Amino acid sequence: MRKPLLALATAVLLLGATACADNGSTPSTSSSGATGGNLTIVRNADSVSMDNTMVFSNASIWVFQQMFESLYEVTPDGKDVKPLLAEGYKLSDDKLTWTFTLKQGVKFSTGAPMTSADVKFSLDKARATKGGWEFLDVAIKSVTAPDPSTVVIKTKYPWAPLLADLANFNNAVLPADYGGKSHDDFYKAPVGTGPFAWDHWNKGTELELKKNPTYWDAGKPSIDSVTWKVVPDDNARNLQIQGGQAQINENPPFSSIQQLQGQPGMKVDLFPSTKTDYILMNQKEKPFDDVHVRRAISYAIDREALVKTLLFGNGTPANSFLMPNVPFYDAKTPGITYDMAKAKEELAQSSVPNGFTTTFLASSGDSTDQALAQVLQSSLKELGITLKIQNVDPSAAHDLQDSQKYQISHSYWTMDIADPDELVTFAVDPSAGSRSFYTSYDNPQVIADTKKAEQTFDTAGRQVLYSAIQKQAADDAFLGFLYYSPFSYSYSTKVGGFQVYPTGNYHLEDVTLAQ
Amino acid sequence: MSGYLSFLARRLVGTVPVLLGISVIVFFLIHLVPGDPARTLLGVRATDEAVAALHARFGLDQPLWHQYLSFLGRLLHGNLGRSILYDTNVSELIATRLSATIWLLVAATVLALLISVPLAVLAASHRGRLADQIVRAVPLVGLGMPTFWVGIMLVLLLALKVHAFPVSGFGKTPAQHLSSVVLPGLTIALALSPILIRSLRTSMIGVLDSDYVVTARAKGLSHRRVILAHTLRNAAVSSITVLGVNIAYLVGSTLVVERVFALPGLGTMMLDAIFNRDFPVVQGVTLVFALMVVVINLLTDLAHAALDPRIELA
Repeated sequence: MRKPLLALATAVLLLGATACADNGSTPSTSSSGATGGNLTIVRNADSVSMDNTMVFSNASIWVFQQMFESLYEVTPDGKDVKPLLAEGYKLSDDKLTWTFTLKQGVKFSTGAPMTSADVKFSLDKARATKGGWEFLDVAIKSVTAPDPSTVVIKTKYPWAPLLADLANFNNAVLPADYGGKSHDDFYKAPVGTGPFAWDHWNKGTELELKKNPTYWDAGKPSIDSVTWKVVPDDNARNLQIQGGQAQINENPPFSSIQQLQGQPGMKVDLFPSTKTDYILMNQKEKPFDDVHVRRAISYAIDREALVKTLLFGNGTPANSFLMPNVPFYDAKTPGITYDMAKAKEELAQSSVPNGFTTTFLASSGDSTDQALAQVLQSSLKELGITLKIQNVDPSAAHDLQDSQKYQISHSYWTMDIADPDELVTFAVDPSAGSRSFYTSYDNPQVIADTKKAEQTFDTAGRQVLYSAIQKQAADDAFLGFLYYSPFSYSYSTKVGGFQVYPTGNYHLEDVTLAQ
Repeated sequence: MSGYLSFLARRLVGTVPVLLGISVIVFFLIHLVPGDPARTLLGVRATDEAVAALHARFGLDQPLWHQYLSFLGRLLHGNLGRSILYDTNVSELIATRLSATIWLLVAATVLALLISVPLAVLAASHRGRLADQIVRAVPLVGLGMPTFWVGIMLVLLLALKVHAFPVSGFGKTPAQHLSSVVLPGLTIALALSPILIRSLRTSMIGVLDSDYVVTARAKGLSHRRVILAHTLRNAAVSSITVLGVNIAYLVGSTLVVERVFALPGLGTMMLDAIFNRDFPVVQGVTLVFALMVVVINLLTDLAHAALDPRIELA
């Protein structure tokens, strides 16, 4: 080996690599003008499965919503629904029979026309799951398809949230009998009526959908394809937008928002969301069964400080367990605000007036949990409550919360439908799978109001009930309501028409990509 | 040649107990930590029935020793099991991720050699003079800088300012793969080089003082020939061991670099699998990592033998 040879080898390697870099960094563009292009979205975790009836992961839901469509869809403000694959409906006088007319000319991405048989098959499948989203469909008694463009749904009792439930992705319309495939095979390469169709998925790495050429809404989508790429590092995602390798960065951390806003060629949006964070207090563990203890802790939480330190100012303190972007949220709910004097007063009336020692269950590596635990620790010290922090990794934390083997912890919620019932049932009904958000909270009056609200069609009447539920739940301090935070996205200024709904979904058929 | 073959065969057989031991440790360690893949996968709203059904499907309801034995049983058939998180064969997942890790390791090794060998030769042949001082001091800075920071700086400079390389990712074609692994490879090489330079320089200086080098000089060979043909070759023998050990160590630590550069390699897959308690993937990747270390050690020995005719493999 000689020195010049070595130098030559170095030069060749570097030059060769440099020459190829140009091919690598720019996406190939087949069409020109305002339409076409391949959109790349970078995110920190991959989808889990495309089974819309079973999956709870947002990373999966936001993807398959580009392929699957339901009879109704959530409006952009997240507070109502509008027809999508349905033209409209008629409701019988006894409020038990709903007759839907289907939109004409809708085709699956295979080219086959959508009929009422497909709707019936899909709803029956969605209702029959165990441990999936079937809880949204419990009120449905039967689904029939009297003619190709009509679907009749009978409910067991009058059920006000039906349209909102039908708009959920678990009730999306799939081809009848999965187009002749088995359940498992179908979801490996799913087919829907949506603007995008399946291309490929390298699990853990990238998932690509291509434009559905037979999409019923003529002229849409504008882009040719969309790829979700997994880039776990926050900084690496941001650099890919800057380098033009990707166009949309899913949920950059709030700590980076200010820095991102100053970058040329990049836009940062904080979309109003339904994300709400809570302190969980397990009522199976003493002394959290004592309402005064829960109130004392709730009063001791400095929510303004949390918004400043955790969200870098990008959020608002929460007054209710419902959030402003869900219907029937009551802004007048007298939620508990930071007040140490009242906190001390409440604790003095409790079973443990001189304080106690308890443990906060935190997910290691979760910056929110870490900061929250520390803020809470110093506040509760003033009350004479010693807060120990137990750090376990996220999977274990999840497990311990779910099995109620914790004393105090943190969790959050995002809405999937435009009706409060989804969260209310989850949070206050101890007989639901989550045992009142893992707290065993049990107030018969609140539960009765919840059932009544489900069967009340009159908007004003429902508002009265949901206002009462929110007031009572705040009074019982069953959760410590923390703050409402937006969905953060940063994206290239080449992207047009990108909007995230409060329910977290987005419509990529409206997105354009400048070349 | 038959010596080589029987050496290889014996080394590979010797690997089996090592791999078995590793699999036992990994299997029981990850099960010691609380956490349930089913809960993680099914999410906050999952019912107990759904969790139980998933447990039954992946055999997680069986006693631990039973689970371990069925893991071994499958392994004998070359089957690493199914990923709980992705419901895909582990071997399939590993196959899609292995190439990025191997590209990265090869790029890092090549770049580390390209940096270290010339600098070590320069330092050794100018012992005690300015060039030597600089070569000994500057790379230490590289050793002191955290890998992720070096990576980000390289991206800012060579990808965003100069546009010579992609920011991160792996691309689709071999040409794109090559350009994608230069910066991450360089990041690792910069951390690896100081150690290599030091060891190679020291052993070269040792060789330079030996009698046969004095003889070579005395018989009038050029300085270049003395350095390259006589000194470097002999000094390389011990440095190859250092390189081998370090690459083996790197196999486990490519994780940080893979993250910074968004390389879809085994390191990131391992981390995800641990967080999600995807036991079959953790076990599968550990075995692959262990195999890679074994292979690297083997290659080190073979390189030794090639450089030093005194070493007999058989």
